[in-house]
Amino acid sequence: MSAAVVDTPTAAPAGQTLRARPRRPGVAAAKTVGLVALLAFSLFPAYWMFSSAIDPQAATRGARLLPAGVTWDNFVSVIDDGGFGHYLRNSVLVALGTVLASSVVALLAAVAVSRFRFRFRKSMLVLILMVQMVPLEALVIPLFLQMRNLNMLNSLLGLTIVYLAFALPFAIWTLRGFVAAVPVELEEAAYLDGASWGRMFWKILVPLVAPGVVATSVFSFITAWNEFIFALTFLQQSSKYTVPIGLQKFFGENTTDWGAVMAASTIITLPVLVFFVLVQRNLSSGLTAGSVKG
Amino acid sequence: MQRRSTVAVTGTLVLALGLAACGSGGGSGSETTGGDEATDFSGETLTVWIMEGTNPDADAFFDEVTAAFEEETGADLQIEFQPWASAHDKFTTAIAGGTTPDVAEVGTTWTGEFADVGALADLSDRIAEAGLEDDLVPGLVESATLDGGVYGMPWYAGVRSVVYRADLFEAAGIEAPTSWDELVAAADALKAANPEIIPFPVAGDSQYGAMPFIWGAGGDLAVQDGDTWTSEVSSPESVEGLEFYTGLATEHGFSTAAATTWKETDLLAAFEQGQVGMMISGSWTPGKIVSDVPDMEGKIGAFPIPGQTEGLSDSFLGGSHLGVFEASEKQDLAWTFVEMMTTGEFAEAWGQQSGYFPGQTSLLEKVIEEDDPMVAPFAQQMVEAGRSVPVTPLYGQIQGKKTLETMLQSILSGSATVQEAADTAAADMDETFGS
Amino acid sequence: MADLRAAPGASLDPAAPADRPTSGTAPTGGTRRRRAGGLGHRSPLRPWLLLAPGLVVLGVLLLWPLVRVVLLSLQDYGLRQIASGESNWVGLQNYADILGDSYLWTTVLPNTVLFALACVVLTVALGTAVALFLNTLGGFWRGVGATAIMVAWAVPAITGTYVWVWIFDPLNGLVASVLEGVGAIEPGTVNWFTERLSFYAIATLNVVHHGFPFVAITVLAGLMTIPNELHEAAKVDGASAWRRFWSITAPILRPVFAVVTILSTIWDFKVFTQIYLMPGGNGGNKDVFNLGVWSYIESFAQGKYGMGSAIAVLLTLILLGITLVYMRTLFKEEEL
Repeated sequence: MSAAVVDTPTAAPAGQTLRARPRRPGVAAAKTVGLVALLAFSLFPAYWMFSSAIDPQAATRGARLLPAGVTWDNFVSVIDDGGFGHYLRNSVLVALGTVLASSVVALLAAVAVSRFRFRFRKSMLVLILMVQMVPLEALVIPLFLQMRNLNMLNSLLGLTIVYLAFALPFAIWTLRGFVAAVPVELEEAAYLDGASWGRMFWKILVPLVAPGVVATSVFSFITAWNEFIFALTFLQQSSKYTVPIGLQKFFGENTTDWGAVMAASTIITLPVLVFFVLVQRNLSSGLTAGSVKG
Repeated sequence: MQRRSTVAVTGTLVLALGLAACGSGGGSGSETTGGDEATDFSGETLTVWIMEGTNPDADAFFDEVTAAFEEETGADLQIEFQPWASAHDKFTTAIAGGTTPDVAEVGTTWTGEFADVGALADLSDRIAEAGLEDDLVPGLVESATLDGGVYGMPWYAGVRSVVYRADLFEAAGIEAPTSWDELVAAADALKAANPEIIPFPVAGDSQYGAMPFIWGAGGDLAVQDGDTWTSEVSSPESVEGLEFYTGLATEHGFSTAAATTWKETDLLAAFEQGQVGMMISGSWTPGKIVSDVPDMEGKIGAFPIPGQTEGLSDSFLGGSHLGVFEASEKQDLAWTFVEMMTTGEFAEAWGQQSGYFPGQTSLLEKVIEEDDPMVAPFAQQMVEAGRSVPVTPLYGQIQGKKTLETMLQSILSGSATVQEAADTAAADMDETFGS
Repeated sequence: MADLRAAPGASLDPAAPADRPTSGTAPTGGTRRRRAGGLGHRSPLRPWLLLAPGLVVLGVLLLWPLVRVVLLSLQDYGLRQIASGESNWVGLQNYADILGDSYLWTTVLPNTVLFALACVVLTVALGTAVALFLNTLGGFWRGVGATAIMVAWAVPAITGTYVWVWIFDPLNGLVASVLEGVGAIEPGTVNWFTERLSFYAIATLNVVHHGFPFVAITVLAGLMTIPNELHEAAKVDGASAWRRFWSITAPILRPVFAVVTILSTIWDFKVFTQIYLMPGGNGGNKDVFNLGVWSYIESFAQGKYGMGSAIAVLLTLILLGITLVYMRTLFKEEEL
């Protein structure tokens, strides 16, 4: 069965046209323009954020395209006085925990929902989505009381579980689609070959839904990474605070430290990118000719 | 007795290591038995919430306070810094869940609200015992007083006056105005000499900018009659004040369209960019301006907000109290901390480091005596013309609804006349007061 | 295994109704059919066991709080009640107040619906287009492009909003100075944030910019599951790129489109921070309220948690309704 799992689309099997070279030079040029436009559009606000962070005169920047100079003071002060070292560590723990837990739980649930027909299947799906519908602010006090009753306040673990709940709807719905797209015949063939459910799961299913897992893990990571209101109210000690709370520190009652805000924002943005770069290798086609033709 | 004491001490030590949910309100921590030794609280920990950002050197400051506190009482301090923006939510959930700290910094506009629901302890007896009754800034005491009890200890205060470009004034030969007419004349002269400058922006999203003019014309935000409050913003005097204030923008053109949606932070940003001549701004801003833009050193000044024809217009006196939570089991220890922070050397140091005024009158007078030109005008404003908003939780709701800001913005954007906007605002306020 | 090969598009397309039995788990004779209940010979408990962890987390964490929200919505619940723990029942008064507020119907809901519509359409269209584009690139450049759009998603919403606000600052912003350079306007004379249309145009730009990467990454992941030979075969048949998209790509990606559209709609209905942080958006400009800001100002900003809970219940019901409508009309039910 291992022949069924090939994970690179560009290694063309025999008989296929190699598509590495575009047929017309215009296409390459158009792609370049498109890519540049995409990069410019996507990166512009981030550029503004970063260049304000290193700008010694961030507060008076106005319309200046380039920063007035380069200073790393804002970053230094954010990490030292701002305590961002701790916040980063806490956020990473919580976010990775959420990603791991949501991937596992959602995948199992997705298999249940897409491979089986059972009563209330559709209702379950819609109910799961309801979590995303309820405005968070309304949930703060009730959830706070619930977590207090469960003794999970002031703990990163408790927070992770809450984020797991928020990330599950999207993860289950998306993975359901990916699991459904994997032909049952592949699984059947695995069983015919004598594989157990576990083996089938790991060797066949998981690699084929890997892109879906990437998408949902990125979503889970960002959900956990940027969530603010529950983190603020559940965590009682500043040593446990996460980065969004840290960011709020620089918004004073009457004044704002914009340089620090931008530096902290830059620091907040980076780990997400690191995470993405690491997982996006799996964002590639798992299903190719080999697995269909046998 | 001895064994119980040891167990209790060990117990509290263990708890103090943070194994339980932080916040001693109600559930955690057992007190040492009895108040045998009122000044020895060894082994206990006091949890305190302080707001972020007021004092840039807060960490060093509180290290010193912790050391001094431990020396005096033997107890440990646990300070948690909270971001202002979401502090109210944090208090609310803490009250809901019983996880309030022992002591917290409470903004003056919140003290009444929390006192009203019984969350804060009445400190008036302790204040009287300490002999501080007459040594506290009246404006701050006012905002902490509810039904005769004082629920917050004045800690620090700030007030808004007019911050202006002294260099431009000097170059054009303008004097600090002492009446509203003179204010207009000054703005005119400023504009004539510097056409690109915005002489007096009217920030639409700043409620505290409008209050001096409402009060200065003899009007008010709301008045109390027995138990009920009624809005006064649509009274003839209030409207007169509003007409003058917004007229600076709509009639005289001293402002800019952008200012319609400006908060105070935006106003400050524009000033720092050198585009503003005069602005209503707080006592904490000159220091910030100079630290953000060192070039501005020596070019800025301040004067108290002139009265309509003479004297001064009242300006909002804001700041913070230190409140002791009713649910705290360490009331004595908490008061010791509060007294340490709000009087004497630590209060003075906090004032100096943060750029705010101390809440103790004797200290405030010391500051005034120093006669720092950047501080004196604000001090004068504070002492002679500092005022608080209606002290009722209902006013907190009105602020939450942004009633005043809505009124200002609709006038400035031209979608309503002053009277119309004031009437709408008054109706809105009365609806809340009546509920 | 050769006989397992089905015609292209048949076995891989969950949308094709013919392949899908509507009920029952008994295997039929045809091995070509997708037997969605194919593993049904195992215990019927299995799906529930697999669902269990997810349901437990959701149930324990959220079921009781949701019940509490409903209970709170029937009370006049403020700080006083929070502190004392007492109830203060007012029945459906909160709902009556909300639904009876004409402002909700004349301004808030229209703003919300139109804004959400614009955001969802633009986000899904742009995200899909970007995903298709990235799919045509080779591995390295695709990675570069994907990482770049991730940056747009990774920048915190608060920061992104402030950046856009600065760019459009009427006095000192980039746009103002560019327009000044072109001679179009004088900076400081026009405030885009006071007019509803321009306010929401900027807000839409902000939200779409922050939201399209989510769609792009998810759709891209979905595109990865489409084997190349489907496209090859269609190209050999002479189908254009447009046609190939609608005949091959879109049907396979239906579940993906379903989930990103529904979720985008839900989020765009609830947008709060991006509006609140804009000048005038925090309550001072009544013309630009959307549901998120209005509900905050009417309830939580005033300490009225009962009212806030009632609005939350109503909003959830609305979104539930929209989801069901989506599922019934735009996305054929059998797929889900």
